[in-house]
Amino acid sequence: MTEPVITARTTASEASLPSPAPGLVPSEAVIRIEGLCKSFDGRRVLDQVNLEVDRGRIVSVIGQSGGGKSTLMRCVNLLERPEAGTVEVAGEVVHSGGRTVCRDLPGLRRTVGMVFQRFHLFPHLTAVENVVLAQRRAGVPEQQALERAVALLRRVKVAHRGLARPEQLSGGEQQRVAIARALALQPEVLLFDEPTSSLDPEATREVLSVMRELAADGMTMLLVTHELPFAREVSDHVVFVDGGQIVEEGAPQDVLDNPAQARTQEFLASYGTTS
Amino acid sequence: MSALFQVPWTDYRSDLLDALGRTLSYTVVSFVGAVALGLAVALLRLSRAWPARAVAAVYTEVFKNVPLLAIIFLTYFGLASAGIKLDVFTAGCLSLIVFYAAYLSEIFRSAISGVHAEQTEAGEALGLGRASIFAHVVLPQAVRLALPGTNTMLVDLLKSTSLLVTVSAAELMSEGRLITSATFRALEVYLVISAVYFALCYPLSQLLLLLERKVRAGIPLSPLRRRRVRAAHELLAADLARPTVRKESAV
Repeated sequence: MTEPVITARTTASEASLPSPAPGLVPSEAVIRIEGLCKSFDGRRVLDQVNLEVDRGRIVSVIGQSGGGKSTLMRCVNLLERPEAGTVEVAGEVVHSGGRTVCRDLPGLRRTVGMVFQRFHLFPHLTAVENVVLAQRRAGVPEQQALERAVALLRRVKVAHRGLARPEQLSGGEQQRVAIARALALQPEVLLFDEPTSSLDPEATREVLSVMRELAADGMTMLLVTHELPFAREVSDHVVFVDGGQIVEEGAPQDVLDNPAQARTQEFLASYGTTS
Repeated sequence: MSALFQVPWTDYRSDLLDALGRTLSYTVVSFVGAVALGLAVALLRLSRAWPARAVAAVYTEVFKNVPLLAIIFLTYFGLASAGIKLDVFTAGCLSLIVFYAAYLSEIFRSAISGVHAEQTEAGEALGLGRASIFAHVVLPQAVRLALPGTNTMLVDLLKSTSLLVTVSAAELMSEGRLITSATFRALEVYLVISAVYFALCYPLSQLLLLLERKVRAGIPLSPLRRRRVRAAHELLAADLARPTVRKESAV
């Protein structure tokens, strides 16, 4: 695994993401998963799952709780180790045939940023320190790490709370700091694991607004969500997972508005979203 | 009152100051040693390897269930009879270290376990290595949890140095015994010695309480963190001073 090059950005405007030129969106897969299997205590939670996320694309994974969505996402950065199948990130096979072949696991995880459902901010650090920590450990000089942290906090509209500790922040603010933290190492892809599930409607709106801006900037994203209208709005591809398998996938309007599979129709009916 | 206080204390002033210095030396050296050993034992108890866990558990249970006085006698007299002759300072510190490390290891173990596993996971997701996660994520949070118990142990250790009177360690209590032998004024001498212990322990416990409050409030204590927070404050203040329109367009 090639060590990601971390070039410190020093100005606010530079905190924005490099967006692909219009009409020149590269199509190589940042994430490629083939034949992925994972069990917990003998119970199969992922069964022969195949998935690709191309650069600059947004893929939403939907499905009922316990269906394997989060496990699928956690297999990408190897927070969970699959028993079978292949995981490829940024062109590098990182896990294959039940063995981790990635020699630089920290490097892989800096390539793949992750935002958790319950934020998982470090409570002993201020918001800005939360964004600085991983940068410093990755070798970014102190001043540059701080400047980038402030720029990112501004980008997610929480710079005014930069010196607050997580317990002093609202849920929406905490999640936005978590997004800034995940962006700090300039990952090639962001994983969002139900980022609004722990939030009230107002905070959900704030977080979705930030994610919408990331999407507009061309950030590659793999998103586990229950926010179906949001998935319809921002996704290029929607995947419905149930019982550890991909039941149906395709363009948002196909999967969410005209699902072909009975199981998908049933799931969407429970959300009252099918036409 | 004048009948109660008849010991010529000014004659013993320099001896008492020496004894006070030795009490503090025993306390500092033993506490530092006990914290280091206690942390090592706590990490062994949290190890994935069962032999390491077993060794640490046996150590903790043995030294938690043997009186400190017995450990002092074993270290000073027992080891000497086995050919290992330790000077009184080494023997005294060693006794206090092995005894208090057993208790501190329990405090540290529960504090480290008390840091949510999701914090480690967040560190992993950020590409931090195991050592970095421990040093920058788990340990600072564990310190916050361990501080009240550790502080209690420090004050208790200071008071327990008085048990070293049994091996004539020349600390405060030993000095009190010498003065009593010379003056036969046991009540007065031990009242004064007790007052000295109180004068040491009470401010210390209040200082430690203040430290606990500061740590709980997230006030940066290390110079590095203070510098970082100050620099962040300046950057954030400069950022907030910018006009809103410019800020939004920069995003």
